Amino acid sequence: MKVILEARDVSYHYPGDREAIRGISFHVKKGEKVALVGPNGAGKSTLLQMFNGMIRPGKGTILFDNEPIRYDASSLRQLRKRVGYVMQNADRQIIAPTVYQDVAFGPANLGYDEKAIHEAVALALRQVGMAGFERRPPHHLSGGEKKKVAIAGVLAMDPDILVFDEPTSGLDPSGSEDLMELLEELNHEGKTIFISTHDVELAYPWADRVILLLDGEILEENVPAVAFGDPELVRKAHLSVPILLELSQELGRRGFAQPEQKPRSVLDMIHILENLLQHKTCCHPSPGTISVFNVDEGDLSSVSVWMQARPGICIGAMGTRAKMCAAKENLTLAFTYGVIDKCILRALRGQDSLILTTNAMAARVGARVEAYCKESGTTICVIPLMSDSDTGSRE
Amino acid sequence: MFETLLDDAAQNNAFRHIHPGTKILLGLGSLVICLVSPTPVVPVLSGLILSMVLLVPARIPARIYGELLLAPVVFSVFSIVVLLFMLGGGDVVWEFSPVPWIHLTITTNAIHQSVLILSRVFGCMVSLFFIALTIPMTDLFNVMKRCRVPVELIDLMMIMYRYIFIFYDQAKEIWQAQKMRLGYQRPKESIHSFSMLCGMLFISSWIAGEDIVRAMDCRCYNGIMPSLDPMEPVRMQSFIPVVLYLSGLGGILVAITTGIVVFS
Repeated sequence: MKVILEARDVSYHYPGDREAIRGISFHVKKGEKVALVGPNGAGKSTLLQMFNGMIRPGKGTILFDNEPIRYDASSLRQLRKRVGYVMQNADRQIIAPTVYQDVAFGPANLGYDEKAIHEAVALALRQVGMAGFERRPPHHLSGGEKKKVAIAGVLAMDPDILVFDEPTSGLDPSGSEDLMELLEELNHEGKTIFISTHDVELAYPWADRVILLLDGEILEENVPAVAFGDPELVRKAHLSVPILLELSQELGRRGFAQPEQKPRSVLDMIHILENLLQHKTCCHPSPGTISVFNVDEGDLSSVSVWMQARPGICIGAMGTRAKMCAAKENLTLAFTYGVIDKCILRALRGQDSLILTTNAMAARVGARVEAYCKESGTTICVIPLMSDSDTGSRE
Repeated sequence: MFETLLDDAAQNNAFRHIHPGTKILLGLGSLVICLVSPTPVVPVLSGLILSMVLLVPARIPARIYGELLLAPVVFSVFSIVVLLFMLGGGDVVWEFSPVPWIHLTITTNAIHQSVLILSRVFGCMVSLFFIALTIPMTDLFNVMKRCRVPVELIDLMMIMYRYIFIFYDQAKEIWQAQKMRLGYQRPKESIHSFSMLCGMLFISSWIAGEDIVRAMDCRCYNGIMPSLDPMEPVRMQSFIPVVLYLSGLGGILVAITTGIVVFS
């Protein structure tokens, strides 16, 4: 994969202060999800602000698309269009008196014409699920909604890489999960995503790669299971071991599970336990099915008959548009994040579920279920639902 | 308190989707008619009708509207009491000498004048409240842009409007923190607490100012503040009643002044 962002021996110190960043080198590949994890004051925000040229490193270079960043006004504008930066405090990022004006701020300043601005804003608001809020002033929005508007403001410029400083700070647990799901969705639409956080429980299942930062230096750079798996490192970085990882380590120490098994989700954990208790399988003899409906391909209302025929079915939605469609049809969603895993868990208990999904996420359901089935040796049927037939299913 | 109250009402009333130009025409039109009216009948009529319009079809909560009206009513009633004694002319209705060297008199002309002023204040206040309660600031910015108010001024106003609420929340937080730790207990200490609040607010506005510049830079700022044009066009079903109402009010005014209709 192509490298999109690279830091080469970067150092920085604030005027009259000790060094905030001390000789850091790393790279981010296109389409990756990277989490920069470290305690408060580790230099996370400083490092992030170097990516879009807000802070110029004292020593070393930052490369974007294999070109060193240039710091003249027009190059910086070009860079900031491609590196979208979402600030920690949405109130500080939203500058205009209405949602529309704020989201239109970037495109307008990039010199788009009226029509292009309108399209960019409509698309960005749809992506974050805030369509219809155009005329609302920001002080009438909740914390989570403000965050989404701030993200839409950056998405409207169609950047290649999105940089988030503490994306979940100030959000409630379900808001945080929703946001991580949105980041996942944006990643599937082709954006590279780089976040800083100190929430290991969120970063652990989400990130492709984790960079542990402490006192301006990289402590460890690896896949989450390794970076978070070393208690010594984690203690040094003032973090905590993710609970699933700790549980599997403890099982490993007692000889119950192989130490190389690193569960990233409840489903993985169940799989490990299942192998442990092979005689008493916790799996239902005939697993349930997972139906998938793509809201981008058909009208959701056309499957209502199908749903009425199955009153016990649980519905999950992946992707902002799918969630909006469900809200329009007054469907009660049982799952809005970690949907596939939760549906597999249901299927293992012999229950059926329906996943509403969008174009970007549709392929993921099949891939994830197939991967799980291969690993565990079970078969779970994934049935794509078509909108035009009222029986609604084909194998 | 009032600024958030007004903003809430303006954002949530049932006239939210009527074109702001129509609403401004109604507000300013009745304001002018109330101001030029030589008789108290027209402003009182206009005030009552607009109040009913605000309360019933526009669905402004009666409590908010009452609280808003209370402030100018109290103020103008006190002023009128003074005016009653200050103005002269006509027959003496009532005389009062609290001490031998002060004579207070109320005359018929003074009563006429005071009633007229009171009614004008009432009519004009209601007209202004109509604008304040039914047109959100964001729509007013659009109207200003149409009226060729310099863009720089509008941009500044937009940023100020955005930050009023942030600073208001901040001030409230600081004030609460002071109260919780027993600030504002004695008069002298209140002054100290208040000055501390102002100082803190100044520092945080300074930081916020730097943050805005950074936020704008992050999003490729090049001197443009986008605008949001009114979504709703001028609709005849709201525009025609406004024109009819204003011409009716104007008609009554003309009829009274030219003496076609005589109110005793």
